[in-house]
Amino acid sequence: MTAAAHPARFRTSQSIAAQRRFADRLATVILWGCALAIVVLLAFFVGYILYLGLPTISWHFLTAPPSEVEAGGGIGPEIFNSFYILILTLIFTVPTAMAAGIFLQEYARPGVFTTTVQFCAESLATIPSIVMGLFGLIVFVSLLRWHFSAIGGALTLTILNLPALMRVTQEALSSVPNAFREGSMALGATRWQTIVRVVLPSAIPPLTTGVILIAGRIFGETAALIYTAGVSVSPGKSAFDWGLFHPAETLSVHLWYTHSEGLIPDGAQVGNGTALVLLVVVLLFNFSARILGRWLSRRLTGA
Amino acid sequence: MYGLVIATRPSRASLNESVAKAVLLSACIVVVAAMGALLFYLAIEGTRLIFADHINPFVFLFHTTFDPDSREPGAFVFIAGSIFVTLFAICVGGPFGVAVGIFFSELAPPRVSALIKPAIEVLVGIPSVVYGWLGLTLLAPLVRTYLGSQTGFGLLTAGVVLSVMILPTVISLSEDALAAVQTPLKEGSMALGATRWQTIYRVILPAARSGLTVAVILGIARAIGEALAVQMVIGNSAVLPRGLLNPTATLTTEIVTDMGSAQPGTILQHALFSMAFLLLLIAMALIVFVRVALRRQV
Repeated sequence: MTAAAHPARFRTSQSIAAQRRFADRLATVILWGCALAIVVLLAFFVGYILYLGLPTISWHFLTAPPSEVEAGGGIGPEIFNSFYILILTLIFTVPTAMAAGIFLQEYARPGVFTTTVQFCAESLATIPSIVMGLFGLIVFVSLLRWHFSAIGGALTLTILNLPALMRVTQEALSSVPNAFREGSMALGATRWQTIVRVVLPSAIPPLTTGVILIAGRIFGETAALIYTAGVSVSPGKSAFDWGLFHPAETLSVHLWYTHSEGLIPDGAQVGNGTALVLLVVVLLFNFSARILGRWLSRRLTGA
Repeated sequence: MYGLVIATRPSRASLNESVAKAVLLSACIVVVAAMGALLFYLAIEGTRLIFADHINPFVFLFHTTFDPDSREPGAFVFIAGSIFVTLFAICVGGPFGVAVGIFFSELAPPRVSALIKPAIEVLVGIPSVVYGWLGLTLLAPLVRTYLGSQTGFGLLTAGVVLSVMILPTVISLSEDALAAVQTPLKEGSMALGATRWQTIYRVILPAARSGLTVAVILGIARAIGEALAVQMVIGNSAVLPRGLLNPTATLTTEIVTDMGSAQPGTILQHALFSMAFLLLLIAMALIVFVRVALRRQV
């Protein structure tokens, strides 16, 4: 029974092929559409936030202290606090996470301990940041009686971001070819010497990119800070409050607070301006991560 | 002479070696200790409702009236709210994210990838309050105008915001899962005359099943734990929603809304800690699911 003897059936198989081709093209179009939609969405978000926020931005807005009840408050202390808490968090997070990441990648053998560490890191990475905030509230605010403080907020963010930075470290180290390690060890270097002199220098570009991207995330973190660093800034003229144990409302917390609890009449404008500043800083972090990473990898590993 | 050199040099290096190893090891112990402390303190504070206030856990889990002042801290509305918004987010954001993951791993020319991937990294970096703000100023008015909702706040608005927020997680994890499918499998399918879509649909997606499960589970974890963006647009009323346009509340939004005014030692505060503990248990359960899914892969 050949296909020619049954024209009807032959046509069907041809139309099935056409159908398949059509399905293939349709899928291609849809998949491209989804990917482009992401870019359009992002461009739209950025454009919209710019459109909303730009009228609010002024030197006064960026430097003045916030206002509780009247219009015309600024976000000066919030900008400072955001960077202050970010730096504090990085001081705690980077060494700890890198050390843990190096251990897991270079020393650890599969076993109960490694599995436990990995399970704990994964769990920490999945725990909602508001839950982390309540943990900070229990430990730093109540138990240690630090009340709402910059240091309490930074330590909470440290725990929250440890796993992400460990992951970055592990991935950066695993991108270094094993031949480098073998060569170094063959020359008589110990494991630690190999790590410090050979492995880490080659892992610097991805590490830098990863740390800056995580810094961007720390900068925008909110839920973990509301009940640890608080929703107020120290009263006073200066925007720079270095007090570790003073309450330190950050930009993102301010945006939330203005909307949810704030009493100021110009809340919408303040919110728009704050959202814009947050977005711009995050974009800057992203661009600098990319540019610095590329520059470093050209300087350190390139020709 | 030689013996001396050999005897002293390595011993100093090996001392460094063991010090370094101990320091690195202690960092790992910090991670374990942090998780242990988290579990310990939240378990203590989260069970005070049962052991100090003698509230039946059944009441907490299944009662729909949340009135802590009259010893009725029923969190069912919040649990249901969390489940609803998460389901919405994963039903909308999940397929969309997987589609973009397929695009990156199977279709995208390298140049296009290099253009779109940074955009996704920016989406990851946008703070959740900014997503909330977008939902508040952009989406809620649209819902109000076109869908006839009174406030524009509710399940739908929160679900859409969450769908966008889980995209980066789902995209990058599903891309990894799909890229891990071995090339011979794809080539075999193409060689049999399958179109690219047939190969994706019949060969690649089934082969990447467990990795895609992980992507979806971690998307769920992200959605269920998100607090502020949802709190800004869900309407925050402790009632079961009758439809997509009705305001409701979730576990996370309820914590954010009421923790500030909860006096220490009250049933309200204990109930909020119980919700946090519940969220912690959910997160850990999801991680166990991920581990199971990954083990099945091998």
